[in-house]
Amino acid sequence: MHDSDLLFSMRDVHVEVEGKEVVKGVSLDIRRGEKHAIMGPNGSGKSSLANALAGHPAYSITSGTALIAGRDLLQMDATERSLAGLFLAFQYPLAIPGVTVANFLRAAVKARSNGDESVIKDFRKTIKANFKLLEIDDSFATRYLNEGFSGGEKKRLEILQMLMLKPLVAILDETDSGLDIDALKVVSKGINYSASSDNSILLVTHYQRILDYVRPNYVHVMMDGRFVRSGGPELALQLESEGYDRIREETAAKVEV
Amino acid sequence: MVMNTLTLTNRKHGFRAIRQGEPEWSHEQRRRAWESYHDAPNPDRITHLWRYTKPEHFLISNPGEAMLRDVPSRTGSTGIDTTLSSGYSAHGISRADLSVGIAVADEYSRAGLYVSDLHSAAADHRYPVQEHLGKLVGEPFGKFESANLALWNAGFFVFVPDNTVVREPIYLSHQPLDEVLLSRSLVVIGRNSEVTIIDDYGSDVARPCPLANSVMEIFTGDSSRLRYISLSRFNETTPSIFTQRIRADRNSHVLSVFGSFGGSVTKVNAGAVLAGPGAESLMYGLAFGDGRQHLDHHTLHHHVSGETHSDLHVKVVLKDNSDSAYTGLIRIEEKADNSQAYQENRNLLLNEGTRAESVPELEILTDQVSCTHGATVGPIDPEMVFYLKSRGYSNDEATRTVVTGFVEPTIRLLPDDLQDMFRGLVRRKLEGK
Repeated sequence: MHDSDLLFSMRDVHVEVEGKEVVKGVSLDIRRGEKHAIMGPNGSGKSSLANALAGHPAYSITSGTALIAGRDLLQMDATERSLAGLFLAFQYPLAIPGVTVANFLRAAVKARSNGDESVIKDFRKTIKANFKLLEIDDSFATRYLNEGFSGGEKKRLEILQMLMLKPLVAILDETDSGLDIDALKVVSKGINYSASSDNSILLVTHYQRILDYVRPNYVHVMMDGRFVRSGGPELALQLESEGYDRIREETAAKVEV
Repeated sequence: MVMNTLTLTNRKHGFRAIRQGEPEWSHEQRRRAWESYHDAPNPDRITHLWRYTKPEHFLISNPGEAMLRDVPSRTGSTGIDTTLSSGYSAHGISRADLSVGIAVADEYSRAGLYVSDLHSAAADHRYPVQEHLGKLVGEPFGKFESANLALWNAGFFVFVPDNTVVREPIYLSHQPLDEVLLSRSLVVIGRNSEVTIIDDYGSDVARPCPLANSVMEIFTGDSSRLRYISLSRFNETTPSIFTQRIRADRNSHVLSVFGSFGGSVTKVNAGAVLAGPGAESLMYGLAFGDGRQHLDHHTLHHHVSGETHSDLHVKVVLKDNSDSAYTGLIRIEEKADNSQAYQENRNLLLNEGTRAESVPELEILTDQVSCTHGATVGPIDPEMVFYLKSRGYSNDEATRTVVTGFVEPTIRLLPDDLQDMFRGLVRRKLEGK
């Protein structure tokens, strides 16, 4: 029987990009209310994993299983994954010219409203409150999505989308990269506001910095397409002081033995 | 697509005799144009305007027969009941069988706004038809414009007196029947006047028509403001050629928009001549092809006078097996110093099997100008579609959203009251209606 607290579960997931295996068998369980962080150096496969889970057509999951709230994620296309409660905050959010932030989000909210009129009725109020929380100017509602936005504005917009769409499992792909400390605090505030005992968050990050503001329950270190170490929040601190090289050496040593 | 296989070996008919009620100058103009039409060779496919479309599409299968139907046999045309919808200053309907319907709001009639069919206007000395007709789009233009000038059997005349502001649009509807539509229209706008004209070729219920050859000439007075919108909405079996020129005089402001949605083979040549200092022309185009449609658009911004400004944006969306060619010429004359010209053409291909070409052309004969242009042709961005899908959009919704987003910035350049009409036309095309 399915454990209803298990929101996300993957086993031995392999990912290929352009015929090259970049994720070589990772497994992870995330329970309701938990925050997990995947840390790793550039090129370790973190973003590939995130994109593959969201259903990006360029990334294929070649083997393994992944479930969201007990449902088979890999049988779904990107649309269905989103409607099932998965959310990916992109590392490099794309501009969509001609589509305003408000219209874009209204359609996305409507897509998951299941005919509940009140969601649409409250849309304006909800988006305004979230603008305020994320310190985004109201004028962004009528601007074209991400067009001409700064790096920080784009990241805030990703978090805005998360707040509006209320996913069960949110994967945040390097949401902290390119943010100055003030923007990092605002974005973290948004993430913490959205986190509840009913959902879960998977932070994908290079640096420990964001973990000072969004405190994970578990940290997983990813290298060369595999999780090489898992632990509590203290693992992030250890990484920060020792760097990835130490773990790389230890891992290499272990393989030799 | 049905190919017209006619050649130019048609026996040359002499032009018909003058008819009762037909002004002598008009008959003479037609006769000369008829000679030009016959004497002109088929356009050379090497000539750039004809590189992308076979001229044979636009040959009239029986010009002798068309000649018999070019002028009403008696003065006065068959009337079509026409009621003026609210929000319009005037409404005109014109058909190739010479039937016409015109309604003008009393307020504007009293102010001197005159809207009629071109036949009646040509016979009416009170209006400056003779000095303008054929002066912008006449024989030198080419074979098909000559055919139109010789044989026009439908179209409108609009006269806006000096110092007259017509707030609501004039709506002109050219309705094809089962015969060749040769529509010619003329608009003369006085000094310091303002008008909006919606020029609708074909309609929501466009009947199949073997050929549509249409011409629009517009003269704007000093310091006038014109908003001109032409729509091509012919039946999917109708080949059409449309030539449109606007002459913008000193300090006049022209905003012209063309929307190409219907037809089988659609060839549009839209241009503005900036004839006086301070003249400004903004030209926007939206074309959406589907099925096996072939679109061929040419635009011209001709800076004859210095101190003039032009801006042009053309967006083309193609799906199914449609294709498009766009050529855009900016010509700045030797004495047209301090002119500014901007031109942009973007093409969005929704699937394989579509094809678009974009050819910007600059002929600049002076140094004292600023001129920029840009063109792109590309498929729909799969990353954009994925982004939208990752937020719960279905594949179709995502595609529709990217397409509407592609055209929306151009639609937003239009006057507020016309934006929804264009959004609706794009939506219907996207939904395949």
